[in-house]
Amino acid sequence: MNAVAEFEALRRRTLRRRRLESLSGLLVFSAILLISFQRSQFFSSDIGGDPLGRIGDFLTRMIPDLQGEVLLDDRRTTGSLAWWFYDLPVWLKLGWQTVEMAVVATVLGAVGGLLASFLCARNLMPIAAVRFSVRRMLEAIRTLPDLVLALLLVAAFGVGPLAGVITLAISTMGSLGKLFSEINEEVDPRQLEAMEASGVGLIAKIRYGVIPQVLPNYASYALIRLEGNLAGAAALGIVGAGGIGIELQRAITYTEFDTYLAILLLIVGMIFLIDMASEAIRHRLIGLGEAR
Amino acid sequence: MSREIQARAYLAAPAAMGGSWSRRLKTVGLTLFAVAAFAVMCIDLKLAPEALLAGMDKFDRLAASAFPPSDGGDLPRILKALAETFAMAFAGTVLAALAALPLGVLGAKTVVGQPVLHFAFRRVLDWFRGVPALVWALILVSAFGLGPFGGVIALALADVPSLAKLFSEAIENSDRRPIDGVRATGASPLMVLRYGLAPQVTPVMASQVLFFLESNFRNAAVLGIVGAGGIGFELEERIRIFAFDQVFFIVGLYMVCVAVLDTFSQRIRARLA
Repeated sequence: MNAVAEFEALRRRTLRRRRLESLSGLLVFSAILLISFQRSQFFSSDIGGDPLGRIGDFLTRMIPDLQGEVLLDDRRTTGSLAWWFYDLPVWLKLGWQTVEMAVVATVLGAVGGLLASFLCARNLMPIAAVRFSVRRMLEAIRTLPDLVLALLLVAAFGVGPLAGVITLAISTMGSLGKLFSEINEEVDPRQLEAMEASGVGLIAKIRYGVIPQVLPNYASYALIRLEGNLAGAAALGIVGAGGIGIELQRAITYTEFDTYLAILLLIVGMIFLIDMASEAIRHRLIGLGEAR
Repeated sequence: MSREIQARAYLAAPAAMGGSWSRRLKTVGLTLFAVAAFAVMCIDLKLAPEALLAGMDKFDRLAASAFPPSDGGDLPRILKALAETFAMAFAGTVLAALAALPLGVLGAKTVVGQPVLHFAFRRVLDWFRGVPALVWALILVSAFGLGPFGGVIALALADVPSLAKLFSEAIENSDRRPIDGVRATGASPLMVLRYGLAPQVTPVMASQVLFFLESNFRNAAVLGIVGAGGIGFELEERIRIFAFDQVFFIVGLYMVCVAVLDTFSQRIRARLA
């Protein structure tokens, strides 16, 4: 009886403590949420009277006025697809530039990240001070938002893709450097010992012992980053750092919301294609990694 | 005899035995092609060393003018803008989570059994997953006017597809057995959700939402560039007038705030896991 009473008391106390904890958590959360909505003027901001009508109006302006019977006519005919995508050659060119920016930046960033990863991997860099400072540097890069960096670099390098490539390369280096160093630290030493036992040289050891272990992981992370960089590059043009974003900015300046939708669809398609290609390559790499 | 063994080993594991000449040729060819493609892209983007050097030179001068950093006597305004940026990130994340919850449930294979529907739903989410918040913000600000309203919606729109996907994966990965166990006691469907599913998926989802809050705080910094308020507006204004000492101050302060939020949220996430 005594033990049961004790257990009941304990259970009540625990339950009460739990409830108090969740209640205070909920209170803090609601307070922050309330302040956030108030600060961001979410409910108080004047978006021009009738908000629902405003949203409807905005959507109708975004959707082009396509006519079924002239859909495949040339761009001079109002209501055709070519009229909607009236600047397609320019957009495709800028879209390709965006892809190039993403690829070049990913390659440069991956090389930078690779070098940094050797400097901050516990099993490869014996000097603790170097490891520490390289890690802090990579952390600082990861903290800085891409577009803030892009703004600064556009001020220095001028409007154009150069600023965008450098921005993306730096931020890629920040994230890949960390991921690569984790891969380096996970290299299985037993395979290397086995090779040592068979008496091969250092180059053969790296070629057959280290690279097969790390390469598929490196490539897989770099390809995931490439997908992210393409989306990033599409936005960079808005601040003048090259790529398709500049056309988005232009469409907004002339309040051509239907054009905006056209370019947006183009960007979405582009990202989708790169995602699929990168996924296919990644799956093959992982398969290859297993076969070895 | 040893030749025969070698041949057999070669057949069994060609990669381990060094590969054939045609294979090597293919590797070399692919490498050369990749290097050439990279070079062509660099030329196409006009990534010339002289442009790089000129820019570096200018960047050095800008960096030199950034010392010592100063708040330009505008500290209260900067702090207010930072608070606004955090508010946008928080409101946007909460809205995104609320919208993603029903979508995530619909996208879970275990909830919607229909494979075609499931596939179509996932694909639509996939298409819009890549669109960055800034791209949404640009048009929303133009539609709804200057101010943080468009920014909040933009952040939410950018997060919903990824969050919904992660939520549905969390639901799919939940263990059937606790759910069956609760059901076996004769509990109502609501009770099954509350005591069978919720304890499994809530920590996972909460941790994902916190992760998105961190990244939204970073993304929110730039929304001001297109007029959605917050610290981005202050930054762009100062970059435009080349007040780099103030830019440096704001960026530094902002990075500290990001680091604080990250540490805080990582600690909560570690507790949730």
